[in-house]
Amino acid sequence: MPEPEKNVTVQDIEAIARKYPAEKRFALAIMQDVQREFSYLPQPVFEVIHRHIGTPVAHLYALATFYKALSLKPKGQNVIKLCDGTACHMRGASNLSKGIRAALDIEPGESSADGLFSLELVNCVGSCALAPVMVINETYYGKVTMESLPAIIAEHRRASCEDTAASCETEVVA
Amino acid sequence: MSLNISIDGKTCTCESGEFLLEVARRNGFYIPTLCAHESLSEQGCCRVCIVEIVSGERSQIVVSCVYPVERAIEVLTNSEKVKALRGMTLALLQKLAPASSLIAGMCKAYGAPELPRLEARADDDTCILCGLCVKACAQLGTGAIAAVNRGIEKKIATPYDQPSATCIGCASCAQVCPTGSIVVKQDAQERSIWGRTFTLLACDRCGVILDTTEAVAYAATLRDAPPEHLCPDCRKQQVAQAFVGVYGK
Repeated sequence: MPEPEKNVTVQDIEAIARKYPAEKRFALAIMQDVQREFSYLPQPVFEVIHRHIGTPVAHLYALATFYKALSLKPKGQNVIKLCDGTACHMRGASNLSKGIRAALDIEPGESSADGLFSLELVNCVGSCALAPVMVINETYYGKVTMESLPAIIAEHRRASCEDTAASCETEVVA
Repeated sequence: MSLNISIDGKTCTCESGEFLLEVARRNGFYIPTLCAHESLSEQGCCRVCIVEIVSGERSQIVVSCVYPVERAIEVLTNSEKVKALRGMTLALLQKLAPASSLIAGMCKAYGAPELPRLEARADDDTCILCGLCVKACAQLGTGAIAAVNRGIEKKIATPYDQPSATCIGCASCAQVCPTGSIVVKQDAQERSIWGRTFTLLACDRCGVILDTTEAVAYAATLRDAPPEHLCPDCRKQQVAQAFVGVYGK
């Protein structure tokens, strides 16, 4: 998992952009690579891509704001995707959203102050039988309840802390 | 290939592939539009120009500005079906742009329903998100604005809502906007648009305002010539004076 607060330089982004031919159609591919590398699209991205392929900055910005997979703000080390599709919604996804707010003090679309978590509301992850479903990074959690939620979050917090030895003192055991 | 179609009972001739709105206008029929502009390519997004086409037993509603005529059809520009759907389209547009007097007027004129169950966007909104300004900016200006975000958060804006470094203040966007939703403030010296203020350039001879300094400079780079410093009238005069002596007195 990349560090969200990594100092991104224009050279880093240029290196990514140069992997692609200078053609309009590669704008999205470059942005996806930058997103993967830095966990968000820092402001200079648009200027760099503009210089590389010629598409106006405003149009690139529009592209970036259209796709949910691209983010203008740094994402947390752990991305929580809370499903709010029909089945999950009926089975209390909104409650879980409140539970996550209580545990991490973040709303959907935000990242926690320690940079460990960010929360996204998604519309169906295709496992409705397990509703309500929550996906953290690549791990699926089915039939999540308000009772099981804190343990799942704590597990990921612990894993991140072991990796980075940072932010551990803010651990919340709900 | 030439085709004969009937519009509200009148026989009109057109070429195959011509857009229906164009044919109707040429033949004196009025079809209301919002997102259509004669100088910019068709967008077909406001859906106000819908008409009914009857072909044999079948009847269908089409968007006339992007409907190419390819066979002999019978067109009804103001049938009951068209009126009802156009009214509904306008009623929905009014939910997007509740503060637009143009949309309000059209709603009244075309008998749009009220739709009290739908919540309108922000009270002061006049933008119907047709994207005509974005197109104008891309073609005439520098592509400084675009449709940002999506769904109910969609809006026309500059990147990060910050004054754009690439905007040249030409105000083409404001000029094509059907609902007058883009704010331009202008006095004798300055023009403010999209959060930036531009200095205006006046004609060297008569003092008429040409455009912003940036727009004049941009036009010069397109023509690969030095920036213009005369208004069209004075330029004509200048050229005329140069010619006066050419053919003798």
